[in-house]
Amino acid sequence: MSATDGLERARASIAAIRGREAGSEALNAFLSVADPDGLSIGNPQGVLAGVPLAVKDNLATLDLDTTCGSRVLEGYRSPFEATVITRARAAGAVVVGKTNMDEFAMGSSTENSAYGPTLNPHDRTRVPGGSSGGSAAAVAAGLVPMALGSDTGGSVRQPAALCGVVGIKPTYGRVSRYGLIAHGSSLDQIGPLAKDVEDVAILLTAIAGYDRRDSTSLNVPAPDYLAEMKRGDDLKGLKVGVPAEYFIEGLEAGVESTIRAAIGQLAGLGAEIVDISLPHTQYAIPVYYLISTAEASANLSRYDGVRYGLRRDGEDMWDTFRQTREAGFGPEVKRRIMLGTYALSAGYYDAYYLKAQQVRTLLRRDFEQVFEQVDVIVSPVSPTVAFEIGAKIDDPLQMYLMDVFTASLNLAGFCGISVPCGFSEGMPVGLQIIGPALGESAILRTAYRYEQATEWHQQKPAGL
Amino acid sequence: MSIDRTQVAALAALARLRFDGEELERITQEMNRVLGHVEHLKGLEVEDVPHEDDPLEGEGDATRGSGAESPDALKLGLGAIAPESQEGFFVVPPLPGVHAEEGQ
Repeated sequence: MSATDGLERARASIAAIRGREAGSEALNAFLSVADPDGLSIGNPQGVLAGVPLAVKDNLATLDLDTTCGSRVLEGYRSPFEATVITRARAAGAVVVGKTNMDEFAMGSSTENSAYGPTLNPHDRTRVPGGSSGGSAAAVAAGLVPMALGSDTGGSVRQPAALCGVVGIKPTYGRVSRYGLIAHGSSLDQIGPLAKDVEDVAILLTAIAGYDRRDSTSLNVPAPDYLAEMKRGDDLKGLKVGVPAEYFIEGLEAGVESTIRAAIGQLAGLGAEIVDISLPHTQYAIPVYYLISTAEASANLSRYDGVRYGLRRDGEDMWDTFRQTREAGFGPEVKRRIMLGTYALSAGYYDAYYLKAQQVRTLLRRDFEQVFEQVDVIVSPVSPTVAFEIGAKIDDPLQMYLMDVFTASLNLAGFCGISVPCGFSEGMPVGLQIIGPALGESAILRTAYRYEQATEWHQQKPAGL
Repeated sequence: MSIDRTQVAALAALARLRFDGEELERITQEMNRVLGHVEHLKGLEVEDVPHEDDPLEGEGDATRGSGAESPDALKLGLGAIAPESQEGFFVVPPLPGVHAEEGQ
């Protein structure tokens, strides 16, 4: 593709975004859109030459604001660029906009954005999931072919599932987090979303690999995931674990039947289905919400009106800190800062935070033991399909329980992908395929072979 | 274990936040609901289990980069992101309660 053709493609994407967001079918998927006259292609010969890329607004960009969906960072322009952005540009991608998200990636519906909720392209009365809801909605609506999100407890996989696109959470350390605004530092990982598994593999190949700027980056060469994914013609010899603890009360009947049908299709492709147990799964949500809030309360202490963004002058320095944070943070962020402060406070540290870290070890051991028997694990991504906007926003615990099938993976550090596997109530359902540390090739291959045998990823929202 | 309004107000001060009236009552209730769910951990025996804060600690020794460095120089010069400069210095807002004369 010539540079001119590539730029035209990116400009067409920007025109489509602006047209959609200005019309009656607006999704509020974007917080900022690039200037079409200021675009350039870093590498016209790259594997992503001219591909329009949407980027979650917690990834630092030089040419667009990075708000993290928060008033406290309104108008904030980063003086440096995230490694994933630099790498995507080096492969030829063109960043066309920054996508809406739950404030500081805290949420499962994108309703916690300070800039209003994103709507699901399949049904605009419903949420797109979160926190990378803008990225998932943008891909599902066909506004961009690829996007980047971040996943702390399911924030790539769950919106991918609820919007009917593919999204992967790579192994902790597989993708550099340099330039990702921190939420839960032992959990955060950046991941691609795209319309199909092949595009996810291409974008992951472009951004994965060691980065000396991220001290948690794994110094292991990243393979060509596209080539790895296409090895073999079927799934013969693949052992697929099905955990009993992921088919529980609260899992919608329509979601369960869709997932069970998908497991049957994997068996039809030659995979051996094995019943397994992950016995500590019931503790994942308490552990996740202790550790993630503790880390978030520390990470967000930097927003005080002095170093970044919003400032509200008070009577003295402490009052300035307090007024800035009161005005800048939304209710969910304040709630999590409070929970995290509690978990870390004297007298409660051992009972809550330390114990959560011990149970985290048990959760990881569950996965390690199972991966001695099977190659991948499959499960639902979300217990429900996309719910109505406003249905859970006033009940934080119910919202937290939406992460019940995804948060364990972040605690263990392993990788997982969501691939479309059907519909329930007319809304998309995602199949989660989980792999061990650095097992991206295995989960991509499983997802690809499943996708090749089905047509769910081609089911677009009405009107597209 | 539950938490009362007084404790929540004290925590808020630690977190540089403040909740008053109905807002304080609401967040107290919300925190208690979440902490009630967290109580599920209490019955689990973990005495001999090591705690980990790095999900891939075992992998890390062999594979985690040892040459991690501080970030490179900013791609934009400081002058490009500073709000204002004067006589070779950056102009920053005065500290609240501190008059310009006192700061000199």
